[in-house]
Amino acid sequence: MGALSAALAIVSVVVPFAGGLSLLVTVPMGLLGYRYRLRVLLAATFAASAIGFVITGISGFMVVLNCAYVGGMTGIIKRRGGGTPLVIAVSAVAGVLNGLLIIAALTVLVRLRTLTLDAITANIDGMLNAISAMPMFRESAEQTRVITGTILRNWPVLIMVNSIFSIMLVSLVGWWALSRVLERLRGIPDVHKLEAVTESEPVAPLPVRLSQARFRYPGADHDALLPLSLTIESGEHVAVTGANGSGKTTLMLLLCGRPPTSGRIERPGAIGLGQLGGTAVVMQHPESQVLGTRVADDVVWGLPPGTHTDVPGLLGEVGLSGMEERDTGGLSGGELQRLAVAAALARQPSVLIADEITSMVDQQGRESLLGVLSGLSDRHEMALVHITHYNNEAEIADRVVNLSDSVDNMVMVGSAAPPAPTAVPMPHTAPDSGAPVLQLDGVGHVYGSGTPWAKSALRDVSFTVNEGDGVLIHGGNGSGKSTLAWIMAGLTTPTTGSCLVRGRPADENVGDVAIAFQAARLQLLRSTVDLEVASAAGFSPWDTGRVVSALATVGLDGSLARRRVDQLSGGQMRRVVIAGLLARRPQALILDEPLAGMDAESQRGLLRLLIDLRRDTGLTVVVISHDFAGMEELCPRILHLENGMVASAFRATGAAGGPS
Amino acid sequence: MSASRQRRPVVLLRPIPGTSVIHELWAGTKLIVVLAISVLLVFYPGWMMIGLMAALVGAAAWLAHIPRGALPSIPWWIWMLLLFGAVTAALGGGQPVLHLWSWDFEAGGLLKFLRFTALAIVLLAVGAMVSWTTNVADVAPAIATLGRPLRLLRIPVDDWAVVLALALRAFPMLIDEFRLLYAARRLRPRPVEADGRAKRRRWLTEMVDLLAAGITVALRRADEMGDAITARGGTGQIAAAPSRPRRADWVALSICAAVCALAIVLEVGVLG
Repeated sequence: MGALSAALAIVSVVVPFAGGLSLLVTVPMGLLGYRYRLRVLLAATFAASAIGFVITGISGFMVVLNCAYVGGMTGIIKRRGGGTPLVIAVSAVAGVLNGLLIIAALTVLVRLRTLTLDAITANIDGMLNAISAMPMFRESAEQTRVITGTILRNWPVLIMVNSIFSIMLVSLVGWWALSRVLERLRGIPDVHKLEAVTESEPVAPLPVRLSQARFRYPGADHDALLPLSLTIESGEHVAVTGANGSGKTTLMLLLCGRPPTSGRIERPGAIGLGQLGGTAVVMQHPESQVLGTRVADDVVWGLPPGTHTDVPGLLGEVGLSGMEERDTGGLSGGELQRLAVAAALARQPSVLIADEITSMVDQQGRESLLGVLSGLSDRHEMALVHITHYNNEAEIADRVVNLSDSVDNMVMVGSAAPPAPTAVPMPHTAPDSGAPVLQLDGVGHVYGSGTPWAKSALRDVSFTVNEGDGVLIHGGNGSGKSTLAWIMAGLTTPTTGSCLVRGRPADENVGDVAIAFQAARLQLLRSTVDLEVASAAGFSPWDTGRVVSALATVGLDGSLARRRVDQLSGGQMRRVVIAGLLARRPQALILDEPLAGMDAESQRGLLRLLIDLRRDTGLTVVVISHDFAGMEELCPRILHLENGMVASAFRATGAAGGPS
Repeated sequence: MSASRQRRPVVLLRPIPGTSVIHELWAGTKLIVVLAISVLLVFYPGWMMIGLMAALVGAAAWLAHIPRGALPSIPWWIWMLLLFGAVTAALGGGQPVLHLWSWDFEAGGLLKFLRFTALAIVLLAVGAMVSWTTNVADVAPAIATLGRPLRLLRIPVDDWAVVLALALRAFPMLIDEFRLLYAARRLRPRPVEADGRAKRRRWLTEMVDLLAAGITVALRRADEMGDAITARGGTGQIAAAPSRPRRADWVALSICAAVCALAIVLEVGVLG
């Protein structure tokens, strides 16, 4: 719980800086005050003000402190069930206190006060002098001068009034926004899985014996894990496979200490989650697995103080030798996951559970990760439980436990190798004669151009996308493919070259080219599906007919219209995004990693939908992906990006050619 | 669309590539110095103090090889604001009076305005120096070390340092997500509303929607990180290398202390 609240504190620390609007800064802090104890709020305040201090020095520090104070107060009032009158009363008191504090500070800081007041006086005097140059305003200017003079001489009153007013205003705005945001957040599922268990006996998780262990989530109407009997001994490499919903992750939770609903789990000692010699877990999302900012720091993160760790040795084992000083922010998904494995190994675990660690990693990263996993149980005194939905990954294990045996919709994902430029048979050839929709000419982009941080992302990229075309832009991590997508959508202005949409600059016509981002949830800005589609498409949310027909184009039932977006599955979210985008009849649709993070069934369904859309409506499709799997039919044309340049361009149908 | 026309962005929490004496200093030293300078400037915002501190910061910037390009482009409206302030302040007049050829120019207002602006700039520059020369990974361990005495007051400094470290780790990830959120908003058609009231109302609901989406994303990220923390058996070490001052740091601290002392003596001595 402490760990979770620590992580939650992050939220409120970062949101203010990104939000930009200082009035609304108070909301995340309020959320924290609402949900957790004062201790968490204090820790978050400390972290936020420290970051403020590092970025802008003392002024940023003060701003953050003030916002944390107001936000925390509103949050606590909300938790205690107070109403608007209480907020007004408390904020008035807070305003008085704050005013007194500032007055006290300025009484001590005589010189700063004199300077500030002098500077203000000089400005006002100057303005009034200018105004009094015009005879008709002379009198009123003189009056104003007298009034402001009096006000500035009585500066404590000015500060007090200002303090009360501004604190009350900020509190009320924060309160209003917080109430609404909290309402919105009520339906969000809690995705956190692991619970720390307090154990007293010595750590000894293996051998673990499950006998008819079954698990059902509270309130669910079917078992998440059907009765399972299984023994895992030290030195074993066990692969656990099965379709989505067959209970793979639930099995991981049971191994980490959740008691089964029925049946038994026997171990000789404590599970010791994350303890030395205990159970280590690496999970799906690469970026969230890594907690340190620097590679070496991440390996030791969370170990008891004073533990000696052979960091270079561990990094060498996972193929990250010599990267101790690198920033974790610049690592690829595969490297992050290997780092997470190294951090798990630093705990010298008896059992390492890898829960679908390759599912969000590109092909290359997947192979290197598998290479790391394959010999682990031989090199170390430990068992490896590898949960996966890829067939070929299960093959390297000593033993495969298939949870889908009793479930009939057993689907496994095949991972495809890049198609050879010449030999792929194509069932469908795109028309080549369409008018050009997107024309890129010598496009190059440098991030942070002119600063010491300048980083070139794209160089001299030229190609044309014609009407009805299906183009796959393929490239690995850091190849510049996402930058290219942003440029084509007009969201980024390229540093050199031009990107034209139907002959007009893309960046002056944002919205003409639709783009569906990888993180579909971020693109759903409204609370319910109908509001979302209507807002994205630009028609009235009461126009039910159009909402339903927009949903129908992406194969979604009209009954979903009133559903809250947080209750949609990943595949549905992606479809709702596409529905909203297509309803505006865009010139082209760009899809950034459209299949990432979905199970095989949803992947196939979405691909089928896109292929049909392209064939039936002549939709121009550009897909950005690091994978080729199943894309040939949707995207007959393939551009391969490497280090920001077009390395090769070919047709999946046959004849290879240079960049068109 | 030439490269020179592009505005230089504000780069946050990323040190300037390369290394220098200043880069090598312990993060704690830099934090102490910044705090000391800020406090001094707030207490004695005189020309002497501003000048001395600006010189100190300038020297540090020179030692750290900070190129001009590190400064973000300043948007035109800030220049306009400054110009407006300067003009009105200049018109305010006051002592001293400058005799320029046949002109008498009352420079008091302008000087006060300039002093105030200079103070603000130096305060900002001091903060920027830390962010330009310090790897964020070093900040949290340094604060844990600096805050050790506070443990006696039963303040959970170590927990705070962990939260700070995690926040700094999550910072770039969440900034990316907010960039995406903003882009998604830009892609939407702008609704046309006749009267201002409806427009304001829509703007407010939109803000709440954006906030809710942002917080949802952040909560999800936090949940996942919480899992990762649990999987590592809770909190503990946050850095592989020990975080403490070295000889160079004592030298830097002494120099800073000397300059500060000199500034105080001059300020108090000259102005009484």
